[in-house]
Amino acid sequence: MKVVQDLRELFSYRELIAVLAQREIRSRYKYTLLGAGWALALPVGLMLIFTMVFSQVAPLDTGDVPYPIFAYIGLLPWQLHAAILTGSARSLTDNRSLVTKVYFAREALPLARVAAALFDFAIAATVLGALMAWYGIAPGPGAWLVPVVLLVQIAFGVGLAFIIAAANLLYRDVQYVLQVVIMVWMFGSAVVYPLPQEGWLLTLSWINPITPILNTYRGLLVGNQVTLEPQFLTAAGISLFLLIVGWLMFRKLEGRFGELA
Amino acid sequence: MSTQPSVQFQSVWKRLTRRAQVSTFAELLYTIPKRILQGRQDGLSEHDFWALQNLNFQLIPGETLGIIGPNGAGKSSVLKLLFRIFRPDRGQVIVNGRVTGLIELGAGFHPMLSGRENVFINGSILGMKQKEIRQKYASIIEFAELGEFADMPVKNYSSGMYARLAFAIAAHAEPDVLLVDEVLAVGDASFQARCYDWIERTRKKGCTIVMVSHQMHVLESASRVLYLNEGNPIMLDAPRPVIDRYMSDQAKLMTSGDNADDLAVGISRVQLLNNDNPTHELRAGDTATFRVHYRLAEPVVGPVVTLELMHNDPRFPIQTPGGQLAQLSSGASFRDQTIRGSGHVDVDLKSLQLPVGMYNVRAAVKGSGDFAAAIRRDDALRFEILRPPESEFSSLIELPQSWRVVHQSEVPQP
Repeated sequence: MKVVQDLRELFSYRELIAVLAQREIRSRYKYTLLGAGWALALPVGLMLIFTMVFSQVAPLDTGDVPYPIFAYIGLLPWQLHAAILTGSARSLTDNRSLVTKVYFAREALPLARVAAALFDFAIAATVLGALMAWYGIAPGPGAWLVPVVLLVQIAFGVGLAFIIAAANLLYRDVQYVLQVVIMVWMFGSAVVYPLPQEGWLLTLSWINPITPILNTYRGLLVGNQVTLEPQFLTAAGISLFLLIVGWLMFRKLEGRFGELA
Repeated sequence: MSTQPSVQFQSVWKRLTRRAQVSTFAELLYTIPKRILQGRQDGLSEHDFWALQNLNFQLIPGETLGIIGPNGAGKSSVLKLLFRIFRPDRGQVIVNGRVTGLIELGAGFHPMLSGRENVFINGSILGMKQKEIRQKYASIIEFAELGEFADMPVKNYSSGMYARLAFAIAAHAEPDVLLVDEVLAVGDASFQARCYDWIERTRKKGCTIVMVSHQMHVLESASRVLYLNEGNPIMLDAPRPVIDRYMSDQAKLMTSGDNADDLAVGISRVQLLNNDNPTHELRAGDTATFRVHYRLAEPVVGPVVTLELMHNDPRFPIQTPGGQLAQLSSGASFRDQTIRGSGHVDVDLKSLQLPVGMYNVRAAVKGSGDFAAAIRRDDALRFEILRPPESEFSSLIELPQSWRVVHQSEVPQP
């Protein structure tokens, strides 16, 4: 079957994906003093700003969880998501010379950007450990499920990455629209505030996988949640669906990338 | 060596569009429903053209295919189809084995990263495993003659080093099918020689080679040559008959029409005369007269007439920065004269020593003042210098020669 053949081909390019991700990371932090330390700057900076706003200007009730930790558990995965979207959008257009001159599984380009975003995520995650130690908060009993949540988040991100990368090659508008979308999306999801118990934001969270994903991270890490809730499972379903559709779409358009780029 | 074909083109058609994409949002709104209603089209729409039409051939391992044709003939499309950058619109392209292209050397080099880092990235892009690259690393650096520069960022490389490194990586990819575009114009002569040497050795190992070239000596080394014109396969045969056909087609194209023109003012035509007979064909060493016909609205004081001879034969890649092979100028000859109305200026050459090939002529008449108006005409005349009767491909120019033997002794001297 063609899909199996395509999957096998993609798998055979795993080394290339790793090499391209390495290229992304190395070239990004080369000639900087802080190097990969810069991966911390954005999530930590945002966490400080929101802590200031939501503890001094408009105090927010986050229950037993100190606001900085509440915000950081939201901002850390959100930053990963935003980095996957912005990175993959330009992954094909930034590599025109490759797309028009050499053949390889084109998925390698957006996937390398996803991998590079995960690298930054891993570095920034160390701050979460430090924060929890500082506030003396131990991980909850369901913390072992966190990797499952991360996998769902990555599936969601990769599905979108395929669609965005291909779409941006057709219409460069995508990368500009994306900046607005990411901002609106962040404030429309429970990134820096707890999800209201009623109202349309709650309704929206059924079709916006980000909110249940973030809530599940929080429930597992600093709450007493030990199971995955229906809303998260719906999000997982949406993510898997998007991953498959995104990849099939990418495959379909791939044959014309050489002409379009 | 197996005779299983390594490359097969089966009735391949490739459509390209002159426009990059649907340009405006309004147009997009219009085309999407149209596409849905009409379904996928197999024919040509308004902006499309066939880059290749019904191309068929197959190659066995160890075979070399040369591709020749004027610009826009579809040569690059063939390479891109082989490299899977393009997909055929009709028909099938079947390639067995690893394809590596010397198409754009160094595509994917990251300027900020060192030569070493780029070896691993580029090698991986060309389909090599990291382990394989580690094993071949020393050999790659040696082939590229980089030495201690391997750890320098690629952005600081000279263009020669850049090309050498890129070629060295591609050379170590051990392809089953190698695509060669005219990329080997970079680098010095010794490097080029090593490249061709390497290509030849690779071929002997059973690699199939497809190369686009305008250099006849390169094409003559191919097993077969494909002649393309505007996407149509014209001829596919042994090199000599194909090259001859291509050259004669080019010649016909160039000498058709006399290029006379009813310009009110300007250079109306340029003629080439041999013993007062207009001609388009000469042999090197013939006497020749170029006659520049002018029509002037106003008198030109102290005219300077120049003729630039441009060699149009792709066999002749060496050109001056202006593109001309030779220039004839009247210089200060007419300093004290004035030309007016219409007439012609002649320049006589006792012996026209030009290399074999096709030429076109750019003519200009200019006043001697700094800001004096000039009349000029591109492509004012086309002519051909014919191959000397017996030299075939062995000589591009005919040197006047006389030979003698100097007899010194009856026995060989030490």
